[in-house]
Amino acid sequence: MDLFGLLLQGFSNALSLKNLFFALAGSILGTLVGVLPGIGPTAGIAMLLPLTTLLPPIPAIIMLAAIYYGAMYGGSTTSILMNIPGEISSVITCVDGYEMAKQGRAAPALAIAAISSFIAGTLGLVGLTFFSPPLANMALRMGPPEIFGLVVFAFSMVASMSGKSLLRGVTSAALGMLICLVGLDPQLGVQRLTFGSVTLMGRLDFIAVIMGLFAMKEVFQNVGIEARRISSARLGSWWRMIKWSEVRQSLGAIFRSTLSGFFLGCLPGCTPGIVTFVAYDIEKKLSKNRANFGKGAIEGVAAPEGANNSCTSGGFVPLLTLGVPPSTSLAVLLSGLMIYGLQPGPLLFEKQPVFVWTVIASMYIGNVMLLILNLPLVGIWARMVRVPYFFIAPLILLFCFLGTYSVRNSFFDVGTCLAFGFFGLILDKLKIPALPLVLAIILAPMMEASLRQTISMGGGSLAILWSRPIALVLMGAGLLGMTTILFARSHWASAEVI
Amino acid sequence: MKRGIIFGWFLTCLVLPYFCAQALGEPYPTKPIDLIVAYNPGGGADLTARLLSGYFSKVTGIQLNVINKPGGGGIIGAREVLTARPDGYTMLCEGHATSSMLAAFQPGDLPFDWRKRTWIARMTKDPVIYQVRMDAPWKTLKEVAEFTKKNPKQLRWGATGVSGVGSPAGIQFFRANNISLDMVNRVMFPGESPVLAALAGGHIDFTGQQYGPSWGLIEGKKIRPIAVIAEKRLPLLGDVPTVAEAGYPMLDVHGWHGLTGPLGLPKQVVDFWVRELGKAHKDPVFHEMAEKVKKEVAYLGSKEFEEFVEREYQKYLALAKDVGAK
Repeated sequence: MDLFGLLLQGFSNALSLKNLFFALAGSILGTLVGVLPGIGPTAGIAMLLPLTTLLPPIPAIIMLAAIYYGAMYGGSTTSILMNIPGEISSVITCVDGYEMAKQGRAAPALAIAAISSFIAGTLGLVGLTFFSPPLANMALRMGPPEIFGLVVFAFSMVASMSGKSLLRGVTSAALGMLICLVGLDPQLGVQRLTFGSVTLMGRLDFIAVIMGLFAMKEVFQNVGIEARRISSARLGSWWRMIKWSEVRQSLGAIFRSTLSGFFLGCLPGCTPGIVTFVAYDIEKKLSKNRANFGKGAIEGVAAPEGANNSCTSGGFVPLLTLGVPPSTSLAVLLSGLMIYGLQPGPLLFEKQPVFVWTVIASMYIGNVMLLILNLPLVGIWARMVRVPYFFIAPLILLFCFLGTYSVRNSFFDVGTCLAFGFFGLILDKLKIPALPLVLAIILAPMMEASLRQTISMGGGSLAILWSRPIALVLMGAGLLGMTTILFARSHWASAEVI
Repeated sequence: MKRGIIFGWFLTCLVLPYFCAQALGEPYPTKPIDLIVAYNPGGGADLTARLLSGYFSKVTGIQLNVINKPGGGGIIGAREVLTARPDGYTMLCEGHATSSMLAAFQPGDLPFDWRKRTWIARMTKDPVIYQVRMDAPWKTLKEVAEFTKKNPKQLRWGATGVSGVGSPAGIQFFRANNISLDMVNRVMFPGESPVLAALAGGHIDFTGQQYGPSWGLIEGKKIRPIAVIAEKRLPLLGDVPTVAEAGYPMLDVHGWHGLTGPLGLPKQVVDFWVRELGKAHKDPVFHEMAEKVKKEVAYLGSKEFEEFVEREYQKYLALAKDVGAK
């Protein structure tokens, strides 16, 4: 049977009442998991894994997968409304999303997040449906040197995220790398910056760090200041709140982020966190509206939200065709498959066509469900901006405490979150941007691993890079990007004192 | 007066059962039990924990909540259990990486005496498979060893961090051939999946990894198994020799998982688990579930389990000296 036949058969299975029910249940749970800060898709799927003993494989995996991609829909909500990045993949959404909310444009921000998620998620599935085997082979060719190249390329974004002073941006990135060093060295288990503390051996929780830097800082900053009022908020039903012109303005960002998110998502070790940064940075360089980035540009919400969704679709490529999960969340899903004796790998599509195509078809359906679920919610969420800030602030604190605690069930992490709230204030006073720090937190572990792997592959030397063209091209692109920005900077800001 | 009597009776009725229960020993378990996994969901320890939890909830109705407490190479989760109240409601999904291997390779980091726990039973074993990239010229372990001796600093060996079996499996192999670790390029990965992906992509040459995570890529002919560490050939890999057949009977690194708890668990709790796990490992349903997650059922009772872990510890201690662990 050809691909279309298989897919059609998958749809006819996925449209059975039972499978539809579980796709819907998964979508709702996923949205919830995404909205609640701290509880990410990993915890969400792990919590429901015991259901696998009760359900047959197809509905169970349909539901678990729906939680995974559904979480990316909900993730933007708290970022936009309260500046709480619930997961690393929605940090960058805070930048323009929260700015839009402050300007009374929470509704269009939320709506474009849902629309962009839907388009990118669905297009990503098209990629998964038609190009899985070649993409998986491409992903395998990306070894440690190529990943290192990619990380170098991604690090060049520090330049464009630094605002006016490059020195401050680099300082921020260096602080981020320092935070990543705390704990056991991932390769040999040597203690670094733990000061003998067992708790620190378990490293600082990154979610606690980012929630502190964004949400806590925002709350602290507003202490004692008369709460702002958003009088000009667009309210009403969702279809009246987003203008067609805004959707059209974002389309380019949505399609570009779909592509970058999907391809990067196929690579083992590429988490949605990196992907959102890359997509945002691409838009910041290409968009006609680039001057508005950071000041509430709608593309700044559309790009990361699209990218993290197409990244989740992309993640299924190595999971299903190689049995290699690119992220922790998908590793849990892999456990779910294994519990049923379904061995993901190059033969899964041949041996279990009914299962694979039913699950993939249900993902198309799930994305439609999520869009239908999330758009009406926009109207409800958007009303929240009417609630006075003195009422919201304690709620934000509560969410942060609950969220950070829930990640590892640890009070230490709650303390970390508080401490980084104050640290965020200090950074603000020193005019040091927080974004490069977050970028470094995401990239540093990958950079360390891939650099050390590359060196050992070459028997102790980096000369091996000369025989890896993909890695060279990526690093070259990074350097080029950085120099153009520096050049442009010296051009228009020659008076700027670093 | 009358009211006083009624009240007194009421109170007695409320309190009496409590004292009776105290006298008879409380029944166990009366509520769900936390089964701590010291690693992220999706790993080898996690799979065993979910196997146990799935089996017991299905067959006996005992609720085991699997809770992941990752961090510090397993130290954080293990400490959590070992310092918990010994009431039988916080148990550890024990494994090589939270006891013998951890203690041998990272003695300086341990905030607890690793032997001080209540050993209940070993339940599963994970065979290790030595494998090479698909287009590698070597067909046997001997050929890999010969190549490495003749071409120092050429073989790219994929190892996992301290807590995985990948490191000791390789170290033991090289030691058996008198190859010093300086003669190979040791490429370290954070876990099994990334190593296997790198092997499938041809970025490394050789690794020894557990059966479960390797199987999909072996079946799909993306990586090539050359020998398995197991007493018998694996049913699904009939044409791959055991290490003994390949000329290396001394290679014996493998993964294992079981159940332990904090020191001083009540006898009742220990008896309960010894009985339940003793029944489970004979149950065909358990075997069938274990086979799906590519785990070999390998039961050892409390005493044998403790002795086994001690032997494992001594074995890894010797290997650790070779790599100069702290």
